[in-house]
Amino acid sequence: MVSSKLHSTEWGGVVEAIENCFNLGWTDGLPVVPPTLERVNEFIDYIGEAPDKILGSVPERRREVTIAHAAANAVMAGCLPEYMPVVLTATEAMLSPEFNLIAPSSSQGGAAVLVVVNGPISKKLGINSKANLFGPGIRPNATIGRAIRLILMNSCGSIPGLFDRTSIGHPGKFTYCIAENDSESYWTPLHVERGLRPEQSAVTVFAAWEPRQVRSAALRGAVLDSVADVASSLGTSLANDDSVADHTIPVRQGQILITIGGSPDFWEGWEKTDIRNYLYPRIRRSLYDLKKVHAIEGDLENGDEERYVPLVPSPEDILIVYAGAPQAAGYRAAVIHSELPKVASSAVTREIKYKHNL
Amino acid sequence: MATKHKTKHILVDPTTSPMIPQFIPAPRLTDLENRVVGLIDDSKENAKEILEVTVDVLKEKFGVKQVEYHRKPSASKPADPEIIREMASKCDYVLVAIGS
Repeated sequence: MVSSKLHSTEWGGVVEAIENCFNLGWTDGLPVVPPTLERVNEFIDYIGEAPDKILGSVPERRREVTIAHAAANAVMAGCLPEYMPVVLTATEAMLSPEFNLIAPSSSQGGAAVLVVVNGPISKKLGINSKANLFGPGIRPNATIGRAIRLILMNSCGSIPGLFDRTSIGHPGKFTYCIAENDSESYWTPLHVERGLRPEQSAVTVFAAWEPRQVRSAALRGAVLDSVADVASSLGTSLANDDSVADHTIPVRQGQILITIGGSPDFWEGWEKTDIRNYLYPRIRRSLYDLKKVHAIEGDLENGDEERYVPLVPSPEDILIVYAGAPQAAGYRAAVIHSELPKVASSAVTREIKYKHNL
Repeated sequence: MATKHKTKHILVDPTTSPMIPQFIPAPRLTDLENRVVGLIDDSKENAKEILEVTVDVLKEKFGVKQVEYHRKPSASKPADPEIIREMASKCDYVLVAIGS
């Protein structure tokens, strides 16, 4: 049984019920499923743990998020009870100190929390990892991502104009959840690269900008060179210099997540490590370019054209997810920059330990 | 048009409120003569500059003796608790600058 705050109300039909939630200020701007006590209890009962269990806190805003809060938001987002293990684990991951939620949930930089699901649960829930990867139409992707946004808004205080001070943002702030297609690839799945076993289910959260789709010729080198070029763009958070005290490296340097699709045959002979090692020295920008747009300060000097600054700290900070249309021809990859330097927020992977005997 | 029949419902509130702990503020200083001031720079643009100007004024006009300076590794993260403890033990007061 829920023991969090309850709100008594009445309505005369479905539309009035939905309008009621708008009036309470609980929505993301779209209609929600009213979080009735009965429905929220179904979600909590599915998990079988105490509704008051604290998933984590936002210490700077002095807020704690419980299973009951997450369940109410998951109901509103249109989730099914079976999605709860993913929603709860993603919530715990984004409230972990390494993720440092205060940064991506308040910054002008407009990050969304991208949720990547790995392991058996993603297939059981039907989370899309293939064509139309970031597109609409698939319930678990749409509603799990939306639940995370509603938890951010309602339970973590990330209300636009209040604690969310985003200048522009992107549509992933409504919903942003994908799976890795780890059953159709010979590559090591993301969660295994990050310390878990293939048979474990996991979520990875990432303080993410929008996915920039990459079109290229059907050659491995062409795909990866195009990815490196997009990843090295001026105007990203990583190719700028402020808010990091360590000035031995002139830019902010952060993680990048790259989704790669296409046929596994296309990539035959290449492991994710090979791709990372290929990309790492190419995701960079010259001092000349960085100074020219005042991304870093300083007078232009002879040789600046040949002096390069890496935009990610290490090859391991390039996160590769096999996802997208397996039959992809021109569009095999997308580049997602972290909104933040790694020192401010880094991707967090957590095993899904909640009951999910589907 | 007939009024729709309304039914009663209980909703679970998805929102949280800040939990503000009680705290006792430190005694206010009555003067700054020979005091030690701590400075925390959040590492964003101009934070250092505004602290430097402020310290010049504090030294010149109010007789501040000593300065302890800390620059946070990232504007987005809270200051390390160890640094806060150290500042609390060494300084009579601390100024925090938030750059932009």
